[in-house]
Parts: sequence; structure tokens; C-alpha cells
Amino acid sequence: MIIQTWLLPVALMAAATIIAFPLSKYLAWIMDGKYRPLPVLGWCEKRLDSGPQDWKQYTGSLLIFAIVMFIFGYLVLAIQPWMPLNTDGKGMLFPTAIFNSVISFMTNTNLQHYSGDQHLSNFSQIFFCIWNMFVSAAVGFCALVAIIRAFRGAAKLGNYFVDMWRVLVYAFLPVALIFAFIFLVQGSPMTLQSSHNVSTLEPAAMGTTDKGEAKPQNIVVGPVAALESIKMLGTNGGGFFGMNSAHPFENPTGLTNFFITLAMMIFPFALVLMYGRMLGRFRHSLVIFTVMSVLMACTIVWSVYWDTLHPNPGLTAHRTARTYQIPSAAAKGGQLPVTLQAVAGLPVDQYLGNLEGKEMRFGTSAGATFDAITTDVTCGAVNAEQDSLNPLAALAPMVGMWLNCIFGGKGVGMINMLLYVIIGIFIAGQMVGRTPEYLGKKIGAREVKLAVIALLVHPFMILFPTGLFAATAWGLQAISNPGAHGFSQMLFQFSSASANNGAAFDGLGVSYGLVGNTSPSPMAIPWDIATGLVMLFSRYLPIVAPIAMAAYLGAKKASPFGLGTLRDDSLTFGILLFGTIVIVGALLFLPVAALGPVAEHLGPIPFGG
Amino acid sequence: MLRYIAKSFWLLFFSVVICCVLYPLVLWSIGQAAFPFQANGSLLTGPDGKPVGSRLIAQPFTKDEYFQPRPSAASYNAAASASSSLAASNYALRDRVARTLGPIVKYRSGARAGQLVAPDVESWFGQDKFQGNPHIVAQWADLHNSLAQAWVNADPKNGAYVDDWAKKHPANVAKWIKDNPGTPQPKAADLAVLFFETFSGENPGKFPSAVTHAVAGGKTETTIEPVGVGADIQSIFFDMWRQEHPDADIQDVPGDLVTTSASGLDPHITLQSAEFQLERVSSAWAAKKKTDASVIRKDIGKILQRNAAAPWEGLIGEKFVNVVEVNLELRKLYGAP
Repeated sequence: MIIQTWLLPVALMAAATIIAFPLSKYLAWIMDGKYRPLPVLGWCEKRLDSGPQDWKQYTGSLLIFAIVMFIFGYLVLAIQPWMPLNTDGKGMLFPTAIFNSVISFMTNTNLQHYSGDQHLSNFSQIFFCIWNMFVSAAVGFCALVAIIRAFRGAAKLGNYFVDMWRVLVYAFLPVALIFAFIFLVQGSPMTLQSSHNVSTLEPAAMGTTDKGEAKPQNIVVGPVAALESIKMLGTNGGGFFGMNSAHPFENPTGLTNFFITLAMMIFPFALVLMYGRMLGRFRHSLVIFTVMSVLMACTIVWSVYWDTLHPNPGLTAHRTARTYQIPSAAAKGGQLPVTLQAVAGLPVDQYLGNLEGKEMRFGTSAGATFDAITTDVTCGAVNAEQDSLNPLAALAPMVGMWLNCIFGGKGVGMINMLLYVIIGIFIAGQMVGRTPEYLGKKIGAREVKLAVIALLVHPFMILFPTGLFAATAWGLQAISNPGAHGFSQMLFQFSSASANNGAAFDGLGVSYGLVGNTSPSPMAIPWDIATGLVMLFSRYLPIVAPIAMAAYLGAKKASPFGLGTLRDDSLTFGILLFGTIVIVGALLFLPVAALGPVAEHLGPIPFGG
Repeated sequence: MLRYIAKSFWLLFFSVVICCVLYPLVLWSIGQAAFPFQANGSLLTGPDGKPVGSRLIAQPFTKDEYFQPRPSAASYNAAASASSSLAASNYALRDRVARTLGPIVKYRSGARAGQLVAPDVESWFGQDKFQGNPHIVAQWADLHNSLAQAWVNADPKNGAYVDDWAKKHPANVAKWIKDNPGTPQPKAADLAVLFFETFSGENPGKFPSAVTHAVAGGKTETTIEPVGVGADIQSIFFDMWRQEHPDADIQDVPGDLVTTSASGLDPHITLQSAEFQLERVSSAWAAKKKTDASVIRKDIGKILQRNAAAPWEGLIGEKFVNVVEVNLELRKLYGAP
């Protein structure tokens, strides 16, 4: 049982770490432009090259291309009904759902307010989903590379379009082909057909039509293997099917589950080491890598401990009644006694942990492990239903999104970590009364301001809209679970949007569906718009501000390494960084954690109904 | 500026060609040429040579002769995968699990070891007392308003039954409207709790259930009637019975058999769950084939063992079997049930 529970997460961490070393070397080699392209690829690259750019030009190009992404994405989804590869005749998504989905995919979030199997044709899956999955992942990657070059002190940060090309063609494409091949062999469909109608083995088991004929089972297929692989490698997370990597076509076996989980880890892992290699500070990046690994291990252990090693508390016995004195101005004596009745357990064998919302083929701890990793690396795919996690286990994915730097998304995770590095060094500098330095450059007021702005966007974009929606019908009519868990559902949705993650508590009613849907979720439109805006701001502000910060810092004169300089490749630095992340994170998010998952855990179970 | 817009369009063009045309095309060609079974959805062929489903997608089985898959929040609709999204703290989860358990659980020890609990639930229900107070159904509706409302909305017949009742009890409805001025024209679901309260007073020890009668011409007709036994009583009131009998020693049911999967389409159950169903399946086939149950039981047990697999050969998970494949094998071996 111990091996069954812990071997999978250990194997995943080990494999991703081992792959990160050679892969980071390869990525640094590519991004430094040391390769010699095939003539045809070289020709394409020349078409894209607009010459070296300074940080403003580079950022400008990034933003201009973002606008192109928005227009193209909106167009593809809007013309879906009239395009080929739509044999099921799927209509058009509701406009606010398109707005939300387009931002969601261009920002690498993939928060899906639609269901792929119900609402998208194969045309949209390929030209909207797959395209965005490649391209949006490359954007964050390029932003990190630009920051690295700025730190090197270069006035010119390279060329955005060439960088995008390098990432797409030399980094993502070959790896995506390898992983897609594995998924295909294991059973992911790869066809341009939309669905099969089969008559079930037991006739009429699906029910009968009005004419008394047996209903067939309609099985949706499509180019699943191709989408699955880049979905995970690009830490996108938007499933071909509504239930994402839990769906047997996206994730057919225990082996694919391992590779799917590994696929979302390798680039975020490798990018941290690439940062060190490109700066010539490999030991520094190893320290950061270690801090991130420790944090990730903590979230995995927490999630597995509470979800796999504990039964679902909704089904177990609570043997004794508990009475609490709740402070209340209205009650006599200012104390309102509240009694939770004893509850008898249901006869269910739960030695495999909480199985509600889990699939059987992946392995004992696969769901809990995946749930923690998917938010650490801001992927947002799921292979188990996060809404049904045990209350405290759900804290692990939430913490991953709140900190947003435990490896984090492609590039942006490392960028977020840099903000913590700057702030950590700044705090340490204040403590010893020395001017803080990073990479031999003095950190000034302007750099710290930019770092703090970029860092505070995230909590603001989570806490403010969560509060707004929790106080109004927008939120209260969307939640599907009563009590503290309903609050968690809203909190999770905005955390996911702001972290550009895309995971969700799926019970939340945020889906409008196609145009002409007669029974959409009542509050779908406010959710579409609010999360759309959150994703937009939380994506581009934390990219632009750090590039500016890096450019200002890089342009400064290097000061000589002295006796009082804080070494950035030491254990002390690692502990400082770890402490900064944990303390800042706790200050920002402990109150909502207490209102959501912790309250659910300590409160009455079962509740409501 | 213009220069960057032009380059953006070049990038758009190249990336669409590479990511949306070349990349899928390569994989599609490999899939269709070398792995057509997987690439087209792993379709299984039935005894008559027609596809009967996918080996990766669960499908429902209702007959006792077949193993049953895990319950599905998507109703096994392979065009709309879905999980239950029920939080552990949500009573709806406990209620759903209890309803699944009620008709199937058995005593583990004591004089009635191995016998179903369900008859005891029915006779306890007939006494119409819960925690010392009369009228179980009224208490059930009071405790779980949303379940009472869900019952009204579950079937148009249920709604019509409540509407009929409302017509016969204008005084009760008028009082309800007076107490709830915000809802001057209540629908059937609004009146659900009130309906069950009066129903329980008028029909002690009874619950409104669908009953099917034979009518003239060989047809059948389903009506809602007060009943004291049956599947509704066994499932809906099992949890309340359990609260009064917390120490009754009952066999545990494997967890995966009463929980919904994440996709709603999980084709597997644990080997433990399959063995839990083995008794039912083999005696059903034995009755059908009029042969010795122990022989059939042994044969089907072998089929289960042969089909059992575990992720990474058991290193990271328990053994499971594919319900669709096992049932297809039974269908081919024994014919249509």
C-alpha cells in the first residue's frame, strides 16, 4: 500500500528532474540561436526576422501579436457552424462564451466555460485549441528569454518573432510528436470523424426513443492524441472533452497517465535550469529549482495524504455529537450553541481513499498527485474531479494557484519566481542594512515597485472579484454545493483565472453553451466577462512589468562582488526564498483558505440538503 | 509598428500551417495507417459483427446477467462527459450513495449474515417512527427540502400527482400562500414539503411510488400510488434507517461501485467490485441456462481473473477489470440473456 501510494509521485518528480537537465541545455542552445536550420526552415525564419529589438519593441511585438491572436481566435469560433470537419452540425458558441474562451486560450489559461465534446467541432479543436496551445505557451517562454537577455545587460533583447519560431518549431513540435505518438498507440483517437453511433451490447440499456427503438450510444471521437500532447506540454490544460484528462480517450491507461503528468512537468522544470544556463549562473538556478521542488513535494504529499489516505468524510461515521458556542449578538449571553448531530457511517469500503470523481485505471494516488501538480505548473488539466476532493485536499491545488511560482507555467512561473527573488533579496537587504543586489546589479526603488505591482495584481484579481461574486446573485446562483464549499467554488474559479491555470470546480454554473440554448446557466454571462477580464490583466501585467524591471536592472553598472554580498547560490538564499514565498503567500491567502476548505473540513459533514 | 503587424501575420501564417495542418496530418497518417483500431476509438465488435461500443467507454448494463459499471453522472452519454461535482460535505452525495447501497447491502454477521438488509428497512419504514416521532416521510421532507423538491421534478407523473393533491387540498395550499407571500402561484416543487407532510399524515408508513399495472389489451400503465415496500423505500430511506441502526453489522460495498467516476465513462471497476457482483451474475446465468451455479461461478471467476490488469503491474494501483470486455465475453459465451 505504501508503494502503491507513493511510487507514482516519486517516479514523476524523479523523471521530470532527470529530463530537465539535458532539455534545459538544448533549450538554451536553441534560444541562443546556435543551431543551423534546414534551408526551408531558415527561409521561414528570415521572413519573420525584423531585426534586434529593445525591450519596448519586444514587448510591443508581444502585445501586437496578442491582438492578432484574439482576432484570429474569435474568428475561428464564430465561423464554426459554416466550416468543414463539423459532421455533427454544431452551432456557434454564445458570444460571451467565445469572448471568454478566446482570452482563456490566448492567455494560456484554458478555463473552459464550454465542453469540448458538446460545443466544438473538429475544425475548432484544431484551428482554435491546438493552435492556441502551441502559440500561447510559446509567448510566456519568449517573455522569460527576453528577461534573461535583459539581465545579461544587453540593450537588444533579440527578436520576438524569431524567438516564437524557435520555440514552436524546435522545442514544442518534436516533443509534441513524441508524446502524441505514445498516446495514440495507447488508445487516444486520431481521426477527423466526429462521432460513432453504436448499438449497446445490452439492447436498449441507454433507454428507448419515443418510437420504442433502442437508443444508440453516441461516442465522440476526433484528433484527440494531437491535442492531448500539446495541451499537456504547453501547460494549457483545455481538454478535448469536457472532463479533460479523466476522459478515457484523452487518458486511456495508467501508462498514458504517467506520460500526461510528466508532459506538463518537463518544460516548466527545464526552463528554471535554462534560466541558470543562459545567465551563466547554473548553481543559482539549482537553488531555485530545489526550492520549487520542495514546495511541489509539499503540495503533492498534502493532497495525497488528505485525499488518498483518508476516506470521503461524507460517507463515514461521525460518532459523537459536537456542540460549539458561536459568538452571536442576537443570542442570550452572546453565545449561540450549535450542535452537530452524530452521524452513522454508510457501509462502504473506502480503503482506496476518496473515489468520488476518480477513475480506476490510473493508480491509487494518481488523481490526488495530478491535482496538485496541475496547478503547481499552471496546467489546469484534471484527471479527477477537483470539486469532489476531500475538503482539505482541495487546499493543495488552491495553494498551487495562489503562489503561482511552484515551477509555474511556461516561462511565466519562473518570472513570478523572479519577483519573489527580488522581494526576498530586498527584505534581506533591509534586515542587514545593505543595498540589495541581484546578479551584481543594485536593486533600486523602481525595480522593487515594478516587482510589487506585478506580484499584487494576482491577489487583487482573485480576492476582489471573489468577494464581489460571493456577495451577489452572480455568485450565489452559480454555485452547486451548499455552505463553505460553495464559497470555495467561486474562490477556485477566480484563482484559476488569475493564475492563468484553467482548473475548475466543475459544479459552478458558468457555461452558456451554444447560441439558442434554452437553459443556460443563469449567471454564465457575468462569469464569462469577469473571468475573461481577470485572465487578461493577470496575464499581461505580470509579463510586461517584469520585462521592464529586468531591462532597468540589466542596464545598471555591475557592482563588484564583495564580502557583504548575499550569495544567490547558497542554502541561506534558498531558505530566504522559501520563507519569502510562504510568508507572503500566507499573508495574502490564509483568510480565504479559512473561509473555504478549512471551514468545510471543520464544519458539519454532511451539510445542507 | 506596421512592420511588426506584418511580421505578426507571417507568424500567424507559419504557425497555422505547422500546428494546424502539418502536425495533425502527420499524426493522422500514422494513426490511420499503423494503428487504425486505436485511432478510430477502439471499437469492439459484437457477436453479429457490428460495433457494440468502445473498449474505453463505459456503457450501461441493467440485467443481472451482466456486471455493472460504476454509476455515471453523465448517464453514460459519451458525447457529454461529466462528473457529479458533489462536494464531500454536500448531503446530495451521501444521499446518492445511500440510495445505491439500500437495495444491495447484506448483513455481515449475526443470525441473518448474508441476507439482504432491504426487507428490514421496509418493515422499519412500515412502523412509521423515526427517532421516536411519527411520520417518517414528513420528517424526511422536513430534513431534506431539496430532495423532496427533486422528487417532484424527477418525473412529470410525480409533478402531476402533487398538482392533483393540491386541487384536493385547497385549504393547505391557501395557508402556504399566506405564509409565503413572495410566491402567490406556487408550482408543484414549491409545495413539495407541504405535500409530503400531509401525505404522510394521510398515508402512515407509505411513500408515493410508480406502480405498473396490466390493463386491457396487454398494455401496461404506470401510476403513482402510496406504497409501503419496493425499491423507493429501500433506497430513499436506507440512510434514515442507518441512523437508527448505526451498529448493525453490514458488509462493506467496494467504494468504486457506489461513487461516480470523473468522466462518467470509466469502463473499469476494481476486481474486488467484480467479485462482489459475481454471486449475482453467476446465479442469474445459472437460472437462465438451467445449469449448476457453482460451475458457472467458477467459469466466470476465471474470465475475471484473465481480464484483470493493474496499472504498472500492481506497483501503483489495484487490479481492475474492463466491464465492457468482460460482458462481451459473457455474451459471446452464453448468448443473449
